[in-house]
Amino acid sequence: MGKLWLICIASISILLPFLCNAFSPETPTDRRVLVLLDDFAIMSSHSLYFNALKSRGFDLEFKLADDPKIALQRYGQYLYDALILFCPSVERFGGSIDVAAIVNFVDSGHDLIVAADVNASDLIREVGTECGVDFDEDPSAMVIDHIGYAVSGTEGDHTLIASDDFIKSDVILGGKKIEAPILFRGIGHAVSPANSLVLKVLSASPSAYSANPKSKLSTPPPLTGSAISLVSIVQARNNARLLITGSLSMFSNRFFRSGVQKAGSQTKHEKSGNEQFLTEISKWIFHERGHLKAVNVKHHRVGETDEPALYRINDELEYAVEIYEWSGTSWEPYVANDVQLQFYMMSPYVLKTLSSDKKGLYSTSFKVPDVYGVFQFKVEHQKLGYTSLSLSKQIPVRPYRHNEYERFIPAAYPYYGAAFSMMAGFFIFSFAHLYSK
Amino acid sequence: MARRLAGFLVLLLVVSICEAAFLFQPISDSHRSTALELFTPDHGSFKSLEETYEALRTFQILGIEKKPDLTATACRSISETVGSSSSTAKDLFYALKANSIAECKIDKKASKGIISRLKAAVSGASSLLDFYYSVGGLVLIKDQSSEADVHLADAEGVFRSVKAFSQSDGRWRYSSNNPESSAFAAGIALETHAGIVSLASSEIDQSLISTLKNDIIKLFDSIEKYDDGALYFDDKLVDGHEYQGPVSTTSSVLRGLTAFAAVTAENLNLPGDKILGLAKFFLGIGVPGDAKDFFNQIDSLACLESNRVSIPLILSFPSTVLSLTRKDSLKVGVSTVLGSEVPSLTVKLVGAFSSGSKDASLVESQELNFDKTSGLHILNDLPKSIDVGSYTFVFEIVLHEPKHEEVYFKGSQTKVPISVTGLIKIENSEIAVLDSDLGSIESQKKLDLAGKNAISLSANHLQKLRLSFQLTTPRGRSFKPHQAFLKLRHESKVEHIFVVGNSGKQFEIVLNFLGLVEKFFYLSGKYDMELTVGDAAMENSLLVAIGHIELDLPEAPEKAPRPPPQPVDPYSRYGPKAEITHIFRAPEKRPPQELSLAFLGLTILPLLGFLIGLLRLGVNLKNFPTKPLPATFAVLFHVGIGAVLLLYVFFWVKLDLFQTLKILGFLGGILVFVGHRILSHLAAASAKLKSA
Repeated sequence: MGKLWLICIASISILLPFLCNAFSPETPTDRRVLVLLDDFAIMSSHSLYFNALKSRGFDLEFKLADDPKIALQRYGQYLYDALILFCPSVERFGGSIDVAAIVNFVDSGHDLIVAADVNASDLIREVGTECGVDFDEDPSAMVIDHIGYAVSGTEGDHTLIASDDFIKSDVILGGKKIEAPILFRGIGHAVSPANSLVLKVLSASPSAYSANPKSKLSTPPPLTGSAISLVSIVQARNNARLLITGSLSMFSNRFFRSGVQKAGSQTKHEKSGNEQFLTEISKWIFHERGHLKAVNVKHHRVGETDEPALYRINDELEYAVEIYEWSGTSWEPYVANDVQLQFYMMSPYVLKTLSSDKKGLYSTSFKVPDVYGVFQFKVEHQKLGYTSLSLSKQIPVRPYRHNEYERFIPAAYPYYGAAFSMMAGFFIFSFAHLYSK
Repeated sequence: MARRLAGFLVLLLVVSICEAAFLFQPISDSHRSTALELFTPDHGSFKSLEETYEALRTFQILGIEKKPDLTATACRSISETVGSSSSTAKDLFYALKANSIAECKIDKKASKGIISRLKAAVSGASSLLDFYYSVGGLVLIKDQSSEADVHLADAEGVFRSVKAFSQSDGRWRYSSNNPESSAFAAGIALETHAGIVSLASSEIDQSLISTLKNDIIKLFDSIEKYDDGALYFDDKLVDGHEYQGPVSTTSSVLRGLTAFAAVTAENLNLPGDKILGLAKFFLGIGVPGDAKDFFNQIDSLACLESNRVSIPLILSFPSTVLSLTRKDSLKVGVSTVLGSEVPSLTVKLVGAFSSGSKDASLVESQELNFDKTSGLHILNDLPKSIDVGSYTFVFEIVLHEPKHEEVYFKGSQTKVPISVTGLIKIENSEIAVLDSDLGSIESQKKLDLAGKNAISLSANHLQKLRLSFQLTTPRGRSFKPHQAFLKLRHESKVEHIFVVGNSGKQFEIVLNFLGLVEKFFYLSGKYDMELTVGDAAMENSLLVAIGHIELDLPEAPEKAPRPPPQPVDPYSRYGPKAEITHIFRAPEKRPPQELSLAFLGLTILPLLGFLIGLLRLGVNLKNFPTKPLPATFAVLFHVGIGAVLLLYVFFWVKLDLFQTLKILGFLGGILVFVGHRILSHLAAASAKLKSA
């Protein structure tokens, strides 16, 4: 019995590190998601979104945000791969979760979806600030758009916005064009221009502004026009992906099913674009798109196959790397025409676009520069929406050895001639000097 | 509790605007399509009979035509459960419930067996749920076949033992050893009691029924309330095990209540607004995405519609946004919660209040016309006193026949938010550059805010810019929009926004550039001007580019604030970089080969000259030793010199330094030896010659 226990504990301790990790190219599947809610009623009112996630194989665990038993990690291991915060009004998380815990969770490469709403709590605003976006500070402010609102028979305050100002990126929003506008009701946020990791996925129209619809405006609102971001994404340097939005209701069944007609437009869409938009973007957030890995980095001299320890200046070399993209179920070849290789020492000496065989293999050949030193092969692939690839491999380059230079230079023939004629003269002179009478 | 309440409000916010007045819509087609989505059997059958019953019941209430295969598979599993002797009271209960809708044929023998088993279960029951399933099963058999003898002999005794679980606050316990009481259990108990009463062979003691009625009144004291008037029951969250959520709990109470009201002849004396509050709760949750909640909602609404207490009437509005310009008429529909027909009645508009103000009503009380074809009550022209803006309208229902007053509950007054919109007339819009000190107009231009403008102005920091316009509502009053912004955008994308204020009718903004130079970061140049005027009540909200103004501002002093960084276009941040190719060092320039060869020839010339000189001098070898030994040494010496010279040639061609030195050491040794011999021989010979 005791033995059985030991085996049990040993096997658990071996398996534990593999049970739950952030997205990693080695074990990209098996993803557990913690969903924190203000109320379990959201499970029912937002069920279409959750069902879409479940049908893609995610294991959702629903908890109240102030449940005293919730925890993100236990014994130093994260219990979840991603976190969804659908709790805009929570003042304090239960259990061991706080803003620092969420930041650590993201810092260790895990994904996060945050939905705020009107009257969002300071805690959720703080989470937003940590993610790099600033929600409008006025607690009762909403995004209002008197030109781009959604026509509705029952809602006359123009806070239900029909927005179609998407980011132009197939990898984030999927290849299929989103025809219908997105219904949004909630608060706007601004992204810092200095932060290059945050991207506005859905922006408000130029006529939008963020204010309290019930009070008169005396000072200009802090957020106006297309500077207002409705939905933003962040791709951290560790490839953790975050989605931040100021509207919880845009995930709701009602908005998913509702028809939409943008003011001033005659076309009435049967269904809003919310479902397509949010489902596609969740594929991006959960790394089902745009996650790249590079394998089989190879380089060698032209005509050889083995990788040398160092190159000589002016060698001709070939470089090849295979790049794949995760599709949610398998690694598919990544097809692009802008993967570039740098041969780098302090600054790039050679920068060349790699040619692709459309099956994931990227290769090129070039001549090593005639400067010796310690170089690096660098592939720094940064593309909107894709994880950044950063490969670097150090390789020294040596000058010619003494015996590798050209030997019999015609221009030096006079010197050779002079030396040998001198030697011949000496030989003859030795006879003449010794034996002449 | 406050937290749960707040949480649930989030959900309600999705459904209705958070205002003093709320809108509730009766069940509509969106419920029907969702029902078909939610109740889809996997591989033709549902997981349990409970789910089968919920699906069948929902479809029945919503009037969705059942698919024949659904009934067929349901019948198969019903007859399986009924026929099997191992099925529990719970299974039998749900099988019979499903059968009450599916109406399958059940074997008579089997049903007799069930009756005896259920009766045994009733007498052996120890917990509330045991009673509920067994009594419920018997009631269902009674409803389905009139012949069966399902009467309980000791109905009063059973009644008392169920009543024993009740608590003083009107809630029930699940069993005698579980101290937690819940409203959900109260609903179950009420339904069980109703079943016992209908199964009783003799009349139940009236005093028992009246204590039960008191319990109901007490239960209703613990009802909880939302801001919008919705009422619901909820249990304390105890460990979450038996916790059902407010929808299930309220639904259970309501089911029990209707069942109990149906079997007792007396009036329950429940106030109608409690019932209306419950109706509002179930309508307020919208379209649930969970099958269980959906069933509970629909079933409860059906209970409300058919209950004997009072049937709530709901006002519905096809549109609460009315346009003055299009002369929209105010339409009101009256229906029950499930959207079915109501008796003849009149809807009265009692008052209309401008939202946010507590002034007297803007309209006089008036009746709406009933339009028979659409079934809506219509107010064709909005009263003259109603201008654009948002209002709260108050409606009242007047039933035509007094006998309906007892059956239906109409609520006292219904407050509804109504937005009135219209086209706003924009007049006298002009833009001018003024001289600061005198206020004299330098250049003034008319604007057409409805069309395109391309005005170009120029000003320096001592001048002012004035923009003015007037807004009038369709009723001829001045209009103050929520959004009236003037935006100035510099070429470097730095934006400045100003709110256009109003003084009476006139909207005017004066930008004094002298006071704004710091705010403008001393950036001279072209500023694009954009005017946004918008309001929820304004149908022609506009965003127009007015044109541009060339500003000539003074040079920035050293400590002036810098303009904030502008967002970088994300598309330009990425993308491929320009290719770099290394420029190789050019090879050194060399003379042509002919020149080298010519100079090679020249280097040979001194040797030739040397040889000719030697011949001219008459060099001979007469001094060469004649004796064999010295001659050998002489030959060896010169061969050695030749070998060393040849070694140098080899060194140049192929040998390296170490090989060369090795051979040179060997050759050098020989050369020293033979050189010493021959040279000393020659020296001796010449000394002999001199001495001679």
